[in-house]
Amino acid sequence: MNIVEWIAAGVLTLGAVFYLAGTVGLLRFPDVYSRLHALTKADNLGLLLVCVGLGLLAADWQVGALLGTIWLLGLLAATVSAHLIARHARHGHGQATTNSEES
Amino acid sequence: MNLAIDALIGLGLVILAWQTISGRSLFRGIVLFVVFGLTMALAWARMGAPDLALAEAAIGAGVTGALMLVAYRRLVQLHPEEPAQPNRRRSRLALPIAALAAGLVAVIGLGAVSAEREPGMAGLAVMSELADTGLGNPITGVLLKFRNLDTLLEVAVLLAAFLAARTVFADEEKSPTPPRGDLPLVGALLAIIIPLTILVAVHLLLAGSREPGGAFQAGAVLAACGVLLILSGRLQPATRMGLAVGLPLVLGLLVFSLVGLAALVMGAPLLALPGLWTVYLIETAMMISIALTLVLLFAGASGLRRGDS
Repeated sequence: MNIVEWIAAGVLTLGAVFYLAGTVGLLRFPDVYSRLHALTKADNLGLLLVCVGLGLLAADWQVGALLGTIWLLGLLAATVSAHLIARHARHGHGQATTNSEES
Repeated sequence: MNLAIDALIGLGLVILAWQTISGRSLFRGIVLFVVFGLTMALAWARMGAPDLALAEAAIGAGVTGALMLVAYRRLVQLHPEEPAQPNRRRSRLALPIAALAAGLVAVIGLGAVSAEREPGMAGLAVMSELADTGLGNPITGVLLKFRNLDTLLEVAVLLAAFLAARTVFADEEKSPTPPRGDLPLVGALLAIIIPLTILVAVHLLLAGSREPGGAFQAGAVLAACGVLLILSGRLQPATRMGLAVGLPLVLGLLVFSLVGLAALVMGAPLLALPGLWTVYLIETAMMISIALTLVLLFAGASGLRRGDS
């Protein structure tokens, strides 16, 4: 493994750690808002790190641009869906505090 | 390393399948079914079948998941007092059926693995004749050149399925659509996502002649556009089907049949497609029909109209 591959492996591992932290937060945090916080924050950074790692491994600006687009679309979808879920919870639909499966 | 990933996906699929059907709640089962579809798409991609992976992700996970969620919402609306729960009673036939299915899969799998390549096999014949068709993707070649009667009938089956579903939701009360106008982020999301989705659908359609893709995948991606527009209230279900909906709905069947019959009139065998342009023409028409059929099934209505405001 050369130096770029080592860096990519490190970045990918860091991304996986963020995904793991986000998942643990989603499962363990007490209410909808903090769960959303854990999910969107950690997911976005995790996705960014995974995309950066894969881009480094590919070493191709075209693949890099595609990965960047994927990250931006992921950001967009996560932002809007988090907004909608938080809004839904704030308006009193679903149970904001219990560990409900149907919200 | 690769073997470990494959084993993880395989094990995950079995666990997901089991959890999907033995889940505590119906909603959980639907979500797990979507996860199962996405994992299945990964498995197809690992097995070198990107066409199937695309179809599984778009249709198996995406559109079917959306249809199931709509059905779940209807169930909750119809019986708000009793939560929609799956039937918990185990049938005595469940275990024998599961054992038989597992045995069948094992026999077919072992047979496929141990099968020898023979010179007269259909797959090899397709690969050797593919160059004459001008298509680079063998899947599209089989769908539109070698087995096009099957494809034509698949489109007809989709239309028949919609007509059958229509008899169910013909006189049912429409579910109220969510209010719109006060959700600024949704408008921005649609403004970015809809053009991109159409771009992806058209790319899948055009790429289908050389690379993975095709009318079914493109139609499913396009249907996602319609689902988004319905969910955000831009499109509303309507009880009457106008010409603007009815014509695109049968366009795929119509164009495919007409081109196939034209070949007969010109002296060629039935459904012998002349040239590459007929493939693109038929695929485009099929994409529109497939997308519209799926959207109408999602809307649970015979027609569509513009949302208020």
